[in-house]
Amino acid sequence: MSKLRYERPVIKKLEGGMPNKFGIRSEIQTVTHIDGNGVKDLIKEYGSPLFVISEKTIRSTIKKARKAFEARYPRIQFAWSYKTNYLNAVCSIFHQEGSWAEVVSGFEYDKAIALGVNGKKIIFNGPEKKEEDLSKAIQNDSLIHIDHLDEFYTIVELAGVLGKKPRVAVRVNMDTGVYPMWDRFGFNYENGQAWDVINKIMHSGKAELVGLHCHIGTFMLAPSAYAIAATKLADLALAIERKYNHEIKYIDLGGGFPSKNTLKGAYLPGTDTNPTFDDFAEAISSALLNSNFKKDNLPLLILETGRALIDEAGFLLGSVIANKRSSTGRRNTIIDIGVNLLFTSYWYDHKITPAQSFTHYTEETCVYGPLCMNIDVIRESAELPLLNRGDHVVIHNTGAYNLTQWMQFIALRPNVLLIDMDEKPHLIRQKETVDNMNGMERVPEHLK
Amino acid sequence: MPAVIPEKTSLSSFLRGFLNSYSQVFFSNSKIFAIILIIVSFLDFHTGLSGLIAVLVSNAAALGIGFNRRNIANGYYGFNSLLAGLGIGVMYQSGPAFFTILFFASLLTLFLTATMEGVIGKYGLPYLSVPFLLGIWLVTLAARQFASLQINESGIYQMNELYAWGGQSLVDVYNWFNTLPLPESLRLYFRSLGAIFFQYHLFGGILVAIGLIIYSRIAFLLSLTGFFSAWFYYHFIGANITELSYGYIGFNFILTAIAVGGYFIIPSRWSFLWVILLTPLISILLTSSYTVFALFQLSVFSLPFNLIVLIFLYALKFRERFLTTPELVSYQQHSPEKNLYSHNNYKIRFGKVFFLPLALPFSGRWKVTQGHQGAYTHTGEWQYAWDFEVTDEDDATFSGSGERPEDFYGYNKPVLAPEAGWVEEILDEYDDNQIGKMDLEHNWGNTLIIRHNDQLYSKLSHLKKGSFKVVTGERVSKGQHVANCGNSGRSPAPHLHFQLQPTPHIGSKTIEYPVSHFILHEKDRFSLRSYEVPVEGMQVSNIRHNSTLQKAFHFIPGQVLRYQVKCDNAEPAEVSWEVQVDAYNNTCIWCQKSRSKAWFRNDGDLHYFTHFEGDRASLLYRFFLGAYKVLLGHYRNLVVTDNYPVHTFNKPLLIFLQDLVAPFFLFTRSTFRLHYLELEDELMQTGFRLKSETTLSIGKRVTKRLETEWQIGTSGIESFRVLDEGKTIEATLIES
Repeated sequence: MSKLRYERPVIKKLEGGMPNKFGIRSEIQTVTHIDGNGVKDLIKEYGSPLFVISEKTIRSTIKKARKAFEARYPRIQFAWSYKTNYLNAVCSIFHQEGSWAEVVSGFEYDKAIALGVNGKKIIFNGPEKKEEDLSKAIQNDSLIHIDHLDEFYTIVELAGVLGKKPRVAVRVNMDTGVYPMWDRFGFNYENGQAWDVINKIMHSGKAELVGLHCHIGTFMLAPSAYAIAATKLADLALAIERKYNHEIKYIDLGGGFPSKNTLKGAYLPGTDTNPTFDDFAEAISSALLNSNFKKDNLPLLILETGRALIDEAGFLLGSVIANKRSSTGRRNTIIDIGVNLLFTSYWYDHKITPAQSFTHYTEETCVYGPLCMNIDVIRESAELPLLNRGDHVVIHNTGAYNLTQWMQFIALRPNVLLIDMDEKPHLIRQKETVDNMNGMERVPEHLK
Repeated sequence: MPAVIPEKTSLSSFLRGFLNSYSQVFFSNSKIFAIILIIVSFLDFHTGLSGLIAVLVSNAAALGIGFNRRNIANGYYGFNSLLAGLGIGVMYQSGPAFFTILFFASLLTLFLTATMEGVIGKYGLPYLSVPFLLGIWLVTLAARQFASLQINESGIYQMNELYAWGGQSLVDVYNWFNTLPLPESLRLYFRSLGAIFFQYHLFGGILVAIGLIIYSRIAFLLSLTGFFSAWFYYHFIGANITELSYGYIGFNFILTAIAVGGYFIIPSRWSFLWVILLTPLISILLTSSYTVFALFQLSVFSLPFNLIVLIFLYALKFRERFLTTPELVSYQQHSPEKNLYSHNNYKIRFGKVFFLPLALPFSGRWKVTQGHQGAYTHTGEWQYAWDFEVTDEDDATFSGSGERPEDFYGYNKPVLAPEAGWVEEILDEYDDNQIGKMDLEHNWGNTLIIRHNDQLYSKLSHLKKGSFKVVTGERVSKGQHVANCGNSGRSPAPHLHFQLQPTPHIGSKTIEYPVSHFILHEKDRFSLRSYEVPVEGMQVSNIRHNSTLQKAFHFIPGQVLRYQVKCDNAEPAEVSWEVQVDAYNNTCIWCQKSRSKAWFRNDGDLHYFTHFEGDRASLLYRFFLGAYKVLLGHYRNLVVTDNYPVHTFNKPLLIFLQDLVAPFFLFTRSTFRLHYLELEDELMQTGFRLKSETTLSIGKRVTKRLETEWQIGTSGIESFRVLDEGKTIEATLIES
């Protein structure tokens, strides 16, 4: 028997197993391994902090999502939302699983092309598409989702110059009964803007209208909103078919499905309350199947799901730097993961688990990052066991947005690992060095 | 309606009727055989002429009266009159009275033919040469009173006749044949063959035998089998062998052998066995009928053949078991070979199309976790049932802890109607069980029963309470969402129970019934299964149709397909095909230039070509071979396979040898494979590339090969390229 760890004695009020007003108290479990790799060993080899992505989880999640839809609707296509996580290895896994690419900038577009994605399978979204990016997209027969009329005019102009008929879709915004209503992207359904641009496209004859797109919000907790969106887009597609005898090839309902993270201020944990793929699939498929599309000629349903497909596959490994008490006596723990790496800690109460054994005593703890900035708080209040300096922690559900929105602020960005299907780790992004940063800089002669 | 195939009324169809009247005597419609038979009949000029007049009179009268033109063209109204004409020609001398009698005797035989068609036909039997027998007997009996008719004596002075007709050389040829060193049995065989056309000599018989080989190898083999089983039987039993040689009446054995062994019955070792077994029966009939007819001084002619074939075919209709030993021909193609090859092929390809085309009752890919005669509950009267569950790549049926129904992939997924019908009964009362518990009191749980017809009901069980989308009595269409998968009844974990049953009751016994077409998933491989029962462990899904492929192979009657054709270095030419439909709703693609037809059918899931008629050098023939069977859904790297009837794609000498042994075994195989290569533009559904291979093989060795590469897009079959024995043919669509 190994020697028991020493822990300082504390005085703590007794809490029963009953739920308090903040929800059911969940047992904190230690997570010592990720896909068979010891947290301690990984940190030892690759340093701390460390991003770890599980290929197994990615593949099983996308398969689960596909299964949910395929069992209900015959034609479904996922398009990987690059902005959620555009590490090449991650994108490649999604493409291997059959996903198309959904990009929102020239940079992302080039990334997709460099990864070998067929131009016809790239959806180009977003309010800013530069002329040269649009030219590339037109040449490659990519699917350009028009965001505003100025963009449409540019496309018409480029089409003339390039002598090609671009494939376009119209991004539509609409009232689906949720707040806030996203109306800054695309054309409004209710006030007729959408029809206006559709008429312009159809009459211009310069572009091929292939799809309709909407993206009703983010971290949506109401599947019914998607049903409303699907119904409205289906009606619009059928009306276009009636009016112009023109078939709309696909309906793209964008992204917005929530992951299992718990939103700040949520009463119950996300794992228990957030709708599943099945809930969304049921709502969307029913709406489309019950619309007036012919049974044998249903449009392709495209989903640009990002967060829900990758969040759970991402783990952020870190180490405890210090413990201290605040002026009010609250326990503060400082770890080496800051908001520079974990941008999403502004949105979620991330689940944090220790990576080594501990006793059953827990204490309400505030988890701070290492930055010399007041806002660097990872969890304002978490029930955590007592951690010592040098102990490791695992922060869960960090796969979405962090690896694209992280910043080189105060500290450099760490290594990113991928653990493959055979549980073998691969370094997929090297940690930054000072030379990397300095390499981009130029110091004028007179300052040398 | 231009697309409907017109019935031909031209001279050529009359000529066809004339020729077929000759070959029909041997159940054939071969033109070469007909010409040989005409020559044989004219070996005695007077007889030949008499037969020819009888055919012309009979066919012209049938046309004038207004009988079915197709039947006339097939020779059905001519061959009995031909035989009567030949018989009368042999018996009586030429003269005005003779021709008058001949004319009316032909007319009489025609009426007798129509009468027999009605009388015998209503039992589903052929009238064979019964009209001829009645006709010739009536005429013979009556003619004894006609003083002006003279008995023909030409047969007696045959040499004189031959000399007068063809000079010394013909007499020499004739004599040479007669002195051929042939065994007695073979001599008798040839003479018996000739006797069918009232030509009792070796030369005629040998000619008929050659014609018979050209027409059908199997028929020739049967004629030998029939004759020699009689020969050996007579020797074995010690019966009067002169019965065979007297009037060469032995042809009764030959005709019976062809009729029973390969024409009305699919040739097989069983049909050959019956040919041998029927020999003693024919001999009994021969002797007994001879005894009776001798009283009237009448010849029995082909009476034993007619009687035995009719009795035998009629008796076979009373079978309740062993319906395939031997099997009756259902679609007559006037050739034992074609009957055999097409029938066997048809049986494999379309033998099960009479089943209602059931689909799987779900969307997406599910696993059969308990099949027919399953180990758990599919036993006894309930053995023909399936349990379906959704599994993941690790073969698990749930994710998470698996403690709640919601953890299971299949739970709450839509359940679809497998085929159109009416909702017969709904049971929607029981809550989902906890995982691992079973509600043994309400075995089937929430259940839906659909009536497809009065003998076929489908039952879907363990459904989710409150998930029903239909009500009792409602009409449901195929694939309609009717309820959701649940965990009620005797169900420890969410699954879908599906069975077919003959009665509407919950708890009814089950019946075995196949699923029409489905896709079997194995890792990343797909294969198509048709009219099969999915078995335990299979991962299956319905066919996901592809509208572009569906459109490309949806040939509409009246539609014209025009292709520009380029063959190697030759000048480009143009072919034009028209889609047609006949009175029985059979559809074909018709090429006017090559006078060819490729018959097809389309069941919504697959396009099939069924058979080809016409010129095998035409592009249409290659089109037929290359698009023999096409799945109307796109699955990358899927391979669709099928077999052709062996005579459809073969080599001349090889098929000759194959024909000879075909009733017993096939050593050649013609196979079709279609590869689904790629889809260039998934969104716009254009740029399908498919490749088909047609091969002829002996064992594992491929001896002949044809390849076709297809390019299919929104405008249809945009182009195809045929590689045929070193020749390349490229066809590009101009109009569809």
